Amino acid sequence: MSPLAALGLFLVAATPALAHHVGAYVPKDNAITANFKQIKFSVQAGKFDVAHRLFETGALRTDMSARAASLPPRLEAGLRDALQSRDGGEVERRLMVFFAALARDLALEAERRLADLTLSRDARTAIGQRFLEAIWRYYNLVDFAVAQRDDKTSVAVRLAFDEAEGYVKSSPIPNPDKLREPLRRIAQVLSALIDSSLPARRSS
Amino acid sequence: MVRFKLELTRWARNAMLARPAVHGLVGVRDVDERVLDEALVKFDAGLRLFHLHAEGMGLVILATTTVAATLASSPAPRRSIIALLTVGGAGYPLGYLLWSGLIPYHGLERGKTIAEWLVWIPFGGATIVALWWLAGLLVLRLCRH
Repeated sequence: MSPLAALGLFLVAATPALAHHVGAYVPKDNAITANFKQIKFSVQAGKFDVAHRLFETGALRTDMSARAASLPPRLEAGLRDALQSRDGGEVERRLMVFFAALARDLALEAERRLADLTLSRDARTAIGQRFLEAIWRYYNLVDFAVAQRDDKTSVAVRLAFDEAEGYVKSSPIPNPDKLREPLRRIAQVLSALIDSSLPARRSS
Repeated sequence: MVRFKLELTRWARNAMLARPAVHGLVGVRDVDERVLDEALVKFDAGLRLFHLHAEGMGLVILATTTVAATLASSPAPRRSIIALLTVGGAGYPLGYLLWSGLIPYHGLERGKTIAEWLVWIPFGGATIVALWWLAGLLVLRLCRH
């Protein structure tokens, strides 16, 4: 073997030896967001019978039933009626309300957790960051629908979200105490959106 | 690995759920599922990378030690280079196995740090040092010719 060939062989061999990596994680849809996309695309394609079947058998309806107490009255029944009557706009509106409610509940829970001063600053920052990711994963699905109906709400949520992210990510020193205010704002804005979208409240 | 994928995933998930503080779990499904999913994906990736590197580093050891045995003329450097390449190359993939095993108990970042200091840095370092040493010897030999 000539030294030149050996050097070439060495360089080929050295490349994988020097590449030390541990893989990359790409967040996946959960069962609810995946089911939402299936229903949405079926409705957009005009396949309401498929959308109805996906709704009845999917994780979204199961979760909707489980959270019925915190959701507007007849949200599930209305969504089913809209699918049966092939009303795409109403289906989209009710799905928007459902995901807005999920995001609102997460914002309220995050705000409550961050109020626990027995946790360290780092722990509260990590909790805040994880809740923000979860809130955005749900809200992002319906932001376009929200903006079409009420662009001020969409902008308000985005601004509050950006501000909240700044407190856990961009700031030189994370500030979980300040994070509570934008979270409160997200919850308020989304509550108003839910109330205005489905005005009739459940009688208790 | 494929045969026991389900059992391994179930074991890792249960071990992580038993240590919520380590993984920053907050008890809210919508938040925790993402954390668990990332850890399980990395747990699986660690096992796959172990498999990949265990196969690949074998070839690296064969190729580089062949070069060293053929072209490193002095016995002492030749023996040292071959030893470093063999030990470093054989040990390095174990870091991925260790990392995977540590994820459920110590979390992603802490597990990675432990694997780095115990395996990747010493064994990978040995391989890198030996490769550069060998490269230097080859360049010297080329210059002399």
